[in-house]
Amino acid sequence: MDFHFMVQSLPQLISVVPVTLYISVIAIIIGFIFAALIAIIREKNIKILSPICAFVVSFVRGTPIIVQLYVVYYGLPQFLYFLENSGVNVRPNSLPQIFIAIFAYSINASANLSESIRSAYHSVDHNQYLAALSVGMKPSTGIRRIVIPQLVPNLIPNFSNFFLDLIKDTALVYNIGIVEIMGKSNIIASFGFKYLETYLDALFLYLVICFFFGKILQITESVVRKRVFNKKSRPSRGYEPIRERKVKVEGE
Amino acid sequence: MALLTVSKVEKSFNQNKVLKKIDFQISKGEVIVIIGPSGSGKTTFISSLNFLNKADSGKMTFKDKQINLASPKKDDVLWVRRHIAMVFQNYNLFKNKTAVENITEGLIYGRGLSKEAAFKKAVQELKKVGLEEKKDYYPSQLSGGQKQRIGIARATALQPDIILFDEPTSALDPELVGTVVRDMDKLAQQGQTMIIVTHLMSFARKVATKVLFFDDGQILESGSPDQIFEHPQNKRTQAFLSAIAEDR
Repeated sequence: MDFHFMVQSLPQLISVVPVTLYISVIAIIIGFIFAALIAIIREKNIKILSPICAFVVSFVRGTPIIVQLYVVYYGLPQFLYFLENSGVNVRPNSLPQIFIAIFAYSINASANLSESIRSAYHSVDHNQYLAALSVGMKPSTGIRRIVIPQLVPNLIPNFSNFFLDLIKDTALVYNIGIVEIMGKSNIIASFGFKYLETYLDALFLYLVICFFFGKILQITESVVRKRVFNKKSRPSRGYEPIRERKVKVEGE
Repeated sequence: MALLTVSKVEKSFNQNKVLKKIDFQISKGEVIVIIGPSGSGKTTFISSLNFLNKADSGKMTFKDKQINLASPKKDDVLWVRRHIAMVFQNYNLFKNKTAVENITEGLIYGRGLSKEAAFKKAVQELKKVGLEEKKDYYPSQLSGGQKQRIGIARATALQPDIILFDEPTSALDPELVGTVVRDMDKLAQQGQTMIIVTHLMSFARKVATKVLFFDDGQILESGSPDQIFEHPQNKRTQAFLSAIAEDR
């Protein structure tokens, strides 16, 4: 083990952290927007679109991200050439790799997150929505004022899981020539054949990044949950007869 | 003159017919109590009156307006819901709103009141049920009885023509039933038109102007509380009432 080499190469790896973050953050934002659309289409059971979305979601969830990445890498330029030949001005030659990566990861995120959104939606008691209708709210108002605020705290843990997975999955984009943490590690390691040292550096960086985002999202969840339900982050461990009793005696 | 009339209401879940051509009407100031065994269609029936359950067929005349129960216009549904409020078995208070917000939501987004006016009205309603000091509590911090009384306040605040009660005391423990019943009793005395589904026979006897016995998706018998409880004609009614005789 060459600790000196490890310390020396760390700053070089840190210099490409923004690339990893850029791909992950942009992909999750775009992915989330489309995920929300897919979830709405599927929950409203909109004709034609709903089965198409269901198919796309199961397709994306049933294939490895690296294969999806390659398909977009080789397929998207061909598609753009096709458009160019049909007279659309798209300039496929100037397509940056990072755009391809973001494109692929956005598709992946929208499929996966749409399922998270749907499960969070189903976690809200349907009677809450009925109660909103019963006081004369429009369906859209009921969803906006009552259902969505209640589903958000349940969505965050799943969202957090997926986002951390996404950050780690971006380690695959060096396959299409993008120099991010993993790509840079490969380059540095091959200079002095110090593979273990460099990859330990990479490991450390991923750990720090994921820990950072994991913590932020965890705090966000507990803040949001408290704001929505005025409850502590952790749900109670079950039956609490003594406390329950106290509340009743006080008020009745 | 009837305030609300429905005729030939039918509803099935898959092959199972839950409501079989029900005819029903209620006039202003009446308190109609619906009794009957579980699964007889009581809840399905009253929730079809404010379209939380859509009937398969049937006609409604509410305040002289005719509405098709199976294919109502969106505006009509909204209009009916703004005049027929509901109190649920499991309270269904909005979990993300405080006690007072639970009442203002409907006033602001259903009735179009300003925030200030809605808040004022909501506090008044909470005062009526004696829970003013709980106005900033969330449902998770309230007992079942308190929740249900807020549920009732939420409904009365809307000043509806009719309030539907779906077994409002079934989820409460016996000690707390009294507080909720008292509030409902008060409403009845004020002349509020109500349709109540309940298993509390003594309460039914006291407040009802008319009692309906539901079984297997039909109204088997209807009449004054005295008629139904003292001289039930139908065999099913007799069997049902004697089975729960202890409660009387």
